[in-house]
Amino acid sequence: MSDLLLNTPDPREPLQASFSDAANPLGLDGIEFIEYATSKPQALGQVLEMMGFRPIARHRSREILLYRQGGLNIVVNAHAADAPGANQEVPQISAIALRARDARAAYNYVLERGAWAVPTHAEVMELNIPAIHGAGGSRIYFVDRYKEFSIYGVDFVPIPSVEQHPAATAGIHFFGVVQYIGPGRSNDWIEFYRELFGTELIPDDLRFGIMPKGTLLRTPALDATQRFMLQLVEPEPHVLDTGEKLQRIGLGVPDVLAAVQALRALGVEFVETAAAHTERRGAITKTYLGSVVFELVHSAQE
Amino acid sequence: MRLHTEGNFEGFGMDTITLAGPLEAKLKAMREAGFTQVMLKANDLVGHPGGLDAAVQAVKDSGLRGTGFQVLRDFEGLSGHLHHYKVDIAKSMLEMCAALGCTVLLACSSTSRHATQDLDLIARDLRKLAMLAVPLGIRIAYEGLSWGHTVNEFTTAWDVVCRADCPNLGVGIDSFHVLAAKTPLSEIDYLDPSKIFLVQLADFLWQDTPTFEERMATARTMRVFPGEGVHSEQVVELVLRLDKLGYRGDYSFEVFNDDFLNLPLPTVAERARKSALWLAEDVLKRSVPLPGQMRLKAMAG
Repeated sequence: MSDLLLNTPDPREPLQASFSDAANPLGLDGIEFIEYATSKPQALGQVLEMMGFRPIARHRSREILLYRQGGLNIVVNAHAADAPGANQEVPQISAIALRARDARAAYNYVLERGAWAVPTHAEVMELNIPAIHGAGGSRIYFVDRYKEFSIYGVDFVPIPSVEQHPAATAGIHFFGVVQYIGPGRSNDWIEFYRELFGTELIPDDLRFGIMPKGTLLRTPALDATQRFMLQLVEPEPHVLDTGEKLQRIGLGVPDVLAAVQALRALGVEFVETAAAHTERRGAITKTYLGSVVFELVHSAQE
Repeated sequence: MRLHTEGNFEGFGMDTITLAGPLEAKLKAMREAGFTQVMLKANDLVGHPGGLDAAVQAVKDSGLRGTGFQVLRDFEGLSGHLHHYKVDIAKSMLEMCAALGCTVLLACSSTSRHATQDLDLIARDLRKLAMLAVPLGIRIAYEGLSWGHTVNEFTTAWDVVCRADCPNLGVGIDSFHVLAAKTPLSEIDYLDPSKIFLVQLADFLWQDTPTFEERMATARTMRVFPGEGVHSEQVVELVLRLDKLGYRGDYSFEVFNDDFLNLPLPTVAERARKSALWLAEDVLKRSVPLPGQMRLKAMAG
């Protein structure tokens, strides 16, 4: 190859980063919200408030509450008709809403590749947010109004006199979601997320936090700081529980020890055993209400 | 009732298509003949007088494990509204399969002249089918019908599965179609045993079935259990090659036979039992259960 091709003198414009839609076919840009379903929304709300979230708005037509801190939104859905699991006391993660460049295009893209459409039940003047089936009866929503407009401005009414943008406790941000999968199902789910969302596989020697088991996938994002992890965990051999579900939320914090201290002050208890305990890399809370766990992971991004 | 411990043929099961009568009677006959698994078909469910839920409950109550669920036909290679229609059909099949707790859905190669013959497009459609099956925990076994329009041998089916390259998409082998199409059995050696999701066994009574029409007529009315037909040597060779290759999955008897539909169920199930015993004990020499194989407790009474 000629040196002239490598060293073009004085380019007219700076060289652009190599970028292709193939690496992020949906134009994903992080998580807009995560939804829990439960018939005991106040009990879950108490746990969320311990974790630093604040209830800021109510849904216009359904029994749904929006919690927020910093850039994180958590929706607690107690409306049994539209969230599988909302009639159960034990809360479960029932949906992840993904930000996408164009929700309709993203929806059509994944349907064309074998996703299941979930019928939505928007009421009059509410947003019709497209959804597909995810793991264990959970849903994946696509949201494209997250910059100038917000979906919450349409479907939710702010709780009066409550700060609508409470600051994050100890710099908490979304880091990822842990998904329990059936035995021998890792490859199925790796392919599913790669085909539909363009996730990349993280090498086995690269791990984050204190719970390294399983397979790590990372979603692409238009803004690199918005990428997040999906961790797929198979059961141990000969374990009876082979069900699939979204098990816990991973939260990134710049300083794990400081975050643990701040959250302990709010009343959160952390697991301190030989197998799992608080350290610089991460920490894990005890299990609340029979299912609700948060994992803290060292992550500098804000 | 006979216990399956009188001979280890746990890896073998009957298909509901072989027996006449209501689902419960079929399941009872199979269980009493010592079988522990059953290959189910869609109209076992939809034709059940108590509806879908009652049929699912009957299968659960029988204690029999579902080998798989059949059959999705003519799915691949279509375009436009035909494709979308077939996707809807596939979703319903997948939902029924999941309701039964079956983890394998059998999909047969297309016989439609409206379908494309481009193997890459066929692979793309099967990949989509496999993706639809992922959230439900189902694997797709793609089988080449011997009268398939484009894919009519397991070698081509394997080619398509490789092109699609999807973890929950594999091949289903049906000995009838292999024998009818006279595919060389040595081709089995080139398969990946972990990608064979189902093996269906049947023999038939004619030496040759050269035309598609003859294959169809024979396949649908004149199949017999392995050991009862005129291709026993080839059936034995096929099973031994699969075993040598490392296949340890299920064998089900895909025996469509008009006479069997007019015989008492225990009579037919007894023929199936003889066939299973012969294959398991004499051919594969499975005197002890395979390690790690699921064992069902014998039902009381």
